[in-house]
Amino acid sequence: MNLPATGRSLGLLVCLQCHATVRALQVPHPRCPRCDAHLFQRKPHSLALTAALLVCAAVLYVPANLLPVMYTRTIFDEEKDTIMSGVLVLLHSGSWPIALLVFIASIVVPLLKIVALSVVLFSAWRRSPRYRTQRSELFRMVEFIGRWSMLDVYAISLLVALVQIRSLAYVAVGWGALAFAAVVVLTLFAARTFDERLLWEPPP
Amino acid sequence: MPVIVCPSCDLAHRAGPEPASERTRCARCLASLQRPENGSIDTAIALSIVALVLFLLSNAYPLVAIYSNGSTRAATLIGAALGLYRQDHTGLAALVFITTVVGPFLQIAALLYLLIPLRRKRRAPGQNTVFRLLAQVRPWTFVEVFMLGALVALVRLTAFARVVPGVALWSCALLMLTLAALTSRTSPAQFWRWVEGYRA
Repeated sequence: MNLPATGRSLGLLVCLQCHATVRALQVPHPRCPRCDAHLFQRKPHSLALTAALLVCAAVLYVPANLLPVMYTRTIFDEEKDTIMSGVLVLLHSGSWPIALLVFIASIVVPLLKIVALSVVLFSAWRRSPRYRTQRSELFRMVEFIGRWSMLDVYAISLLVALVQIRSLAYVAVGWGALAFAAVVVLTLFAARTFDERLLWEPPP
Repeated sequence: MPVIVCPSCDLAHRAGPEPASERTRCARCLASLQRPENGSIDTAIALSIVALVLFLLSNAYPLVAIYSNGSTRAATLIGAALGLYRQDHTGLAALVFITTVVGPFLQIAALLYLLIPLRRKRRAPGQNTVFRLLAQVRPWTFVEVFMLGALVALVRLTAFARVVPGVALWSCALLMLTLAALTSRTSPAQFWRWVEGYRA
């Protein structure tokens, strides 16, 4: 089989910070001659790190969705809000476009990220030769949409800052919000530690 | 023959003329490889200054105020992080503070620090360290997500109270647009084109 010329086969390294292409030097810890960033043929321990972060994110996804993210106390009652019940509150108040937005950003996107990163990780591990372009594009989509899940965390932080009229209404943060933010941050790191180039290694 | 290697899949390509006349993509993974020249260094410095002013406005004025049963309460950008901190959610507070205040500020400050000397054909001391810092900070600036989050919070509040948008809400929206324009004009490739152009 005729393999295409790659950085590895030509002895070239590409700097991930400044994108300079550099001749690989046989020194222990090569650095980019242009921006001094560390250079690697592949990110070190990429698959193991991504897998570990992904497992943590998947575990925390459960409390993130089950625990209350927010408590609202008024003189009449106390309400607990999970991510999903927050969406329903928005839906009942008649603003379905906003409800849809929160549903996508807070429930669909984190789940999609965990599933998509698992698919990409598994095929990199297996060196699966099929659908490589699609998997590359799937990974880049995950990188692009990942940050939008923080939306609910910001909404809660503003509600907490604003609704502090002690005697009348009071909003407190729940532990679900921390679990949720942890899922978002862990998946962001999981995407950063994953080396896309591992999707393109020649099959064993 | 100059070669460029795709950072996304390691495929080697014959390099076209630099700067490219149009956006080029990797032949097998379709990641973007080269982007054409995008604006001058003066434009980038001007946008950074605009962003800095908008950032200061966004932090100096309240984002929103609510009026309910005769009492008023306003929240600022830092107030959002501070509210979480007061409820002992230090981790969450730090996350909100870093992504909405520290991230944007470091990004704008680093760009001004790098670009102003570069315009006078000089290198800022520690240029490479600051460049790498900028590359690390960039993915953690979430102003646009914060704006949508603020919108969601406002919609939830209008059911209970009268909500009045503050100066910072508008300046934050403009900051979001300015940062987007600035980021696309100061890509790593563009930055090093400026550095190498001035070295010659």
